[in-house]
Amino acid sequence: MRRNMKSLKYIAKIACASLLLVACDNELDLAPEDILTQEVAFSNETTTLGVLTGVYSTAQQDDVLNGTNQLMGDWMADNIDFVGSFPTFNEIRLYTTLSDNGSIAAVWDDNYEAIGGANLVIKNAPLVDDPNFTEEEKANVVAQAKFLRALVYYNISNWWAQPLQVAGAGTLSVPLVTEPFEGEVSFPERATLGAVQAQIEQDLLEAIPALADGGDRTIASKGAAEALLARLYLIQERWAEAADYANRVIQNPNYTLASNYDFYNTLDAEHVFTLVNTAADGQDSGQGWSGLTSPVPTGRGDAPYSDNLIATFAEEAGDLRYSELTVIGTDALGAERPFSSKFPEAINNSDNAPVIRITEMYLTRAEANFRGGTSVGDTPVNDINALRARAGLTALGSVDLDQILNERRKELCFEGFRRMDLLRNELNLRRPGMPNEAASAPGQPKTIFPIPVLQRDLNPNMEQNPGY
Amino acid sequence: MRSKFTWMLTLFMAFALQFSFAQEKTITGTVTDQDGLPLPGASVLVKGTTNGTQTDFNGNYSIVASEGETLVFAFIGQKTEERIIGASSVIDVQLVEDAQALEEVVVIGYGKQTKEKLVQSVAIVGSEQIEDIPAVAPQELLQGQASGVQVVNSSGILGAAPVIKIRGVASINAGGRPLVVVDGVPLNDANLSSGQGGQALNPLGDINPNDIESFSVLKDAAATAIYGSRGSNGVVLITTKSGRKNQKTKITLDMSTSWSESTDLFDMMDADQFRGFVAERAGATPEDYPQGGFDWAPNVVRTGLSNDLNFSVSGGGEKTTFFTGFTYKDQEGFIIGNNLNRMSGRLNLTHEANDWLRMGVNLSVTENRNDRVGSENSTFAPLTSSFLQTPWVEPYDENGNFVNTGFIANVIAIEALDINDSNSFRTVGNIFGEISFTDDLYFRTDFGIDRVLLEEFSRSFEINSPGGYGDDYVAQQNKLVWNNSLNWNKTFANKHDVSAVAGMSYEQTDIRDIFVSATGFLSDDQINTVSGSEPGTTINTVTGSRLVGYFARTNYSYDNKYTVEASFRRDGSSRFGANNKYGNFWAVGGAWMLSSERFMENVDWIDIFKLRGNYGTAGNDRIGDFASLARFEGGNISNYNGASGLRQLSAANPDLQWERSKSYDIGFELGMFNNRVNLSVDYYNKTTTDLILNVPIPQTNGGLNSITDNVGEMENRGFDIDLNTVNIRTPDFEWTTSLNLGINENEVLSLPGASVDDQGREFISGSASQRAIVGQSVNTFYLIRYNGVNPETGDAEWLDKDGNVTTTPTADDRVIVGDANPDFVGGFRNTLKWKNFDLNFFFNFSYGNDIMIDGLRFTDNPNGFFNKRAQLLDVWENPGDEAYVPSFSSSTFSTFAQRSTAQLRDGSFARLKNLTLGYSVPTSFLEKSGFLSGARIYFTANNLLTIKADNMDGIDPEVTDTVGNLGQGESFFTPPQSKTYLVGVRLNF
Repeated sequence: MRRNMKSLKYIAKIACASLLLVACDNELDLAPEDILTQEVAFSNETTTLGVLTGVYSTAQQDDVLNGTNQLMGDWMADNIDFVGSFPTFNEIRLYTTLSDNGSIAAVWDDNYEAIGGANLVIKNAPLVDDPNFTEEEKANVVAQAKFLRALVYYNISNWWAQPLQVAGAGTLSVPLVTEPFEGEVSFPERATLGAVQAQIEQDLLEAIPALADGGDRTIASKGAAEALLARLYLIQERWAEAADYANRVIQNPNYTLASNYDFYNTLDAEHVFTLVNTAADGQDSGQGWSGLTSPVPTGRGDAPYSDNLIATFAEEAGDLRYSELTVIGTDALGAERPFSSKFPEAINNSDNAPVIRITEMYLTRAEANFRGGTSVGDTPVNDINALRARAGLTALGSVDLDQILNERRKELCFEGFRRMDLLRNELNLRRPGMPNEAASAPGQPKTIFPIPVLQRDLNPNMEQNPGY
Repeated sequence: MRSKFTWMLTLFMAFALQFSFAQEKTITGTVTDQDGLPLPGASVLVKGTTNGTQTDFNGNYSIVASEGETLVFAFIGQKTEERIIGASSVIDVQLVEDAQALEEVVVIGYGKQTKEKLVQSVAIVGSEQIEDIPAVAPQELLQGQASGVQVVNSSGILGAAPVIKIRGVASINAGGRPLVVVDGVPLNDANLSSGQGGQALNPLGDINPNDIESFSVLKDAAATAIYGSRGSNGVVLITTKSGRKNQKTKITLDMSTSWSESTDLFDMMDADQFRGFVAERAGATPEDYPQGGFDWAPNVVRTGLSNDLNFSVSGGGEKTTFFTGFTYKDQEGFIIGNNLNRMSGRLNLTHEANDWLRMGVNLSVTENRNDRVGSENSTFAPLTSSFLQTPWVEPYDENGNFVNTGFIANVIAIEALDINDSNSFRTVGNIFGEISFTDDLYFRTDFGIDRVLLEEFSRSFEINSPGGYGDDYVAQQNKLVWNNSLNWNKTFANKHDVSAVAGMSYEQTDIRDIFVSATGFLSDDQINTVSGSEPGTTINTVTGSRLVGYFARTNYSYDNKYTVEASFRRDGSSRFGANNKYGNFWAVGGAWMLSSERFMENVDWIDIFKLRGNYGTAGNDRIGDFASLARFEGGNISNYNGASGLRQLSAANPDLQWERSKSYDIGFELGMFNNRVNLSVDYYNKTTTDLILNVPIPQTNGGLNSITDNVGEMENRGFDIDLNTVNIRTPDFEWTTSLNLGINENEVLSLPGASVDDQGREFISGSASQRAIVGQSVNTFYLIRYNGVNPETGDAEWLDKDGNVTTTPTADDRVIVGDANPDFVGGFRNTLKWKNFDLNFFFNFSYGNDIMIDGLRFTDNPNGFFNKRAQLLDVWENPGDEAYVPSFSSSTFSTFAQRSTAQLRDGSFARLKNLTLGYSVPTSFLEKSGFLSGARIYFTANNLLTIKADNMDGIDPEVTDTVGNLGQGESFFTPPQSKTYLVGVRLNF
């Protein structure tokens, strides 16, 4: 008994000590192992470049530059016969889009992620306190972010606004956000199309002097910014500037017209700016370039050629752009159809995104020169013939606007240009005899996207487009 | 082991010596209760020996003993009796109620309490309520069992995660699950497994329900405050089975076989119907479309055959008690390719080393092998794709080989060929020691672990994924728990009972995982990612949390009449912002046993009448790890072209803190007519403040969808009602009924900073169909109202905001149309016993809730080439037609399936959850076998019958496509519950 009491006391001491266990408090300061704070992210050159890389990565989402919305435009127009059954895609084909369309909401979301990342870099990179991070380097980083921001705004402003030619610069486009989100929530109104385009122009003009003029076509460069500016001036019908900037890119020795059509998914000099996708880090949803345009079983088989596009190619026999870039495969309904083979790798969806290539600049220079009555760099007919020669077609003696647009269609089909090329020329998105021709006329409500219903729920300042 | 050996030796000796000594004889008799009713399971022990037995189902026993020895008769709740063996060989004993023992002991947080002194609201679910329910996971056993505890099985997939709500939805964005504690170890319940289109598997799916003795569901603040920052959603305490002291070793073998099938499936078009429909739609003929056909939906379901085996040995001597259990389960789901195999073992042991040291261990190991199937939003999910697949598409070519069917995958080939395994290995347990300093004071320490190791492996072969695809995911979740407490109990002057507990608790949780994938396999004979040529994702991630808590509770009772109790906890957590790491929680309560008062003495028909009331606070820490930090993260989402990048994922909130609830509870317990009628009623009101809200923000803010902040208030109020009655009680026949009802009303009180609707109400969008709206329920459906097809025009019509008919509604026409939260839920159980037969039927029900069948937007979409429900053949053709689908030429044909009340249904239901018929073999018969002490054969049917609304044909009302608080009551091709028939036998040795 006595011994028991002794050990009891001993145990009691241990017990009481362990009860107090003050040391536990330090354990609460558990730090995450892979998360950086904003202060650290903008503390030196390396991490700041990392945030810039993150902007490219957000732009790599299928909804931004990797095909989803680009291909939506091609089936809202006349290039693709969308045969998939996915309702939100099908609505766009049928011109019955509603404001709760989830695919469109995702396009909005993902593009504003890219804008948000660019805004962070533009504001914070110049403030980084790192002696090894020179002013030139900082300016280059900011310029790349501005290029990406301009590119994203260019794409989404066209989706959410009626074209300039129909509705003028005062029509509502997307909210213009140029400040990063650092905790303070804003509820912006939609900006006018004119204001968004002015911002795009300003960003690009500011970016050009600071961008590298090198041969790295996987990131923003001087040539890429100039090319995007030419693209903007073209939809603004500023012919002289469009021709001038297209010409600058054509004159740039970093870029040359490829001799054949093997340049897709390469870093050929054909490309002015191409997003590199890999199996491990590429298109992210299976419904980007490769997934939608590839036939079953590797792809979804949703987006074969429209009969109208096939007929257009068939107008002239031997067009290599058809014979070299087409594969016959099974569509989503089990039928055998011609598909584009520009993005054939639908297992890992690793095909690169052809964002800007030099061919577009030839087409832009030709069209701008033709519309402006100039021949900056070369004549329209020579530019068009250069492309026709590559396609194995005979040279034309002269060209008119229809022919220029027709070449543009055949060159750039499945790359997301068709919708705006038709709208800015005040042409219906569908050709006569195709379904929904009347609903596809420029200015019709369902030729542009609705503001996603959730965004209107969250932001009372957000006005809806008519017809939604 | 030794006591078992001794016991066997005694048994042997008893047999061997039976003939040698004249005074050894067989004593038989019947043990009855105060009403003369037989007491099955009463223990009969020869005093001072380990020679003992139990009474059978008729209260009869038989034991060999010598004259002069003493027999001890004992039964829980009855006074123990002793009889000296005399000349007679028959000893019948009547055990009377033990008033002291009637004070049923209830397991509560960090302790136990007698029912009389309980000031907390605790629902007990005991072994007799759960033993016949075939369950994969513990939560399933709680369904319909206790008032205020709502369990919704999220789907019929094996291992699906149920949603448990205790007294309503207490939170909006923070997790709503209650804390589950097994024998003192708070369980890990992070979702480690993948969703595969639907929900992650039940994080408690590898806790063996067969080990469970009872549940204590802590419902109010007085009960949960001692769990502090984790008490707000309620706490479920699980006590596993144990042996009892001085008990004859009991060996139980329980074996069952069951058959399960689907309860409900959509009735889809067959190929001919589909061809006819799309041909008419296009103005073509059926011959213009591919021929052939296949009925996909009936071919992805089956009758699943399952076998269960449970074996346990339990018992105890003077100093040691033990329980060992083993479970083997081999289960087939009703969806092809869905199988579950489980092996599980448990050892619970206590030992009294001496008069001051008691120690013990509870340990369980479980291995689950789950052959998974996708569900809901996945084209690889058998049910989903079987509904969407164009019915002229066939799974086989003309030679009988599988074909690839494209985006809507060939799910029959997938389930026949591909590998989709989720294997978990879990060890849960603790060791504890109790040191008595005096008779009144002891110190308890326990050290617990919960280790979960999960491996998910998938491999898709050439025909389903050209080039092949494989991935492997390994996750481990390790939790360590250390609890220390001082416990004090003392009675002064026979009338003043005081008890107190004070202690600390430390928990650390670490989660690590790794994922690899590859494509480009040379051959289907190569299984693992090492054989793929093209590596895909290769990542590992780490997260964790730390929690330290200090707690205390004291209870004072005067003469068992008046009881007051107070509890307190201070918690610190790594999950919260730098400025708010610690939080304090507390509760006070009291109880008054009116029936013990002198003035109630003359009220004969009232046995127990007790009033209770309490008020207190609790918290909720379920916001994930590191939510208060501004997160810039790398990985695939941030990398580009081989360079590693950073991406902003959230903004910082250093003030992020606990969500806290304040609640009060008042109630009474009434026992009447010799306790044959027991009624308990509680009214509660729980207000959650500082709601942890992922406040949605316009995505123009950096593309972020929300910021995490403590804003807003929500209230849950309602009644919990339990009524238990013994309707008939004769020696041969007994009929008891129990009814429980949870009436809950949820109301969002404020959501500052949230969006404001056109009526000026703040709201958070919970899904595309519902909102949490101030002044309304957290799960309010907010939709365009569908008005049907106009018989004159053939146009589908909706109502605009003002109630006018329109054919072109917009999002601005949405109004409040329903609530996913039921007005009340509950359970209704009847148990009938006649001689050796018992019949048990158990309904659970839910009333007043709406459900959104989101999949109808696909199956009722007349456009496109996904298959459609057969109901879509009802197309308007002529004026006067009361049709389901608008005319082919109507402009509304293409917008008919838009999100509206056309997909909303009344989700009220009553379901015959469990029907069991059992037969216990009479002891007289068993005696002849010489070794069996009990045998029971039983037949069980689950979900045999469901009463639901007319327009719910083919739809299971009891599903949810999310386990979150928002978006409840919605289904997107969610697999229905299964209907199960089971036959089993339980043997006691």
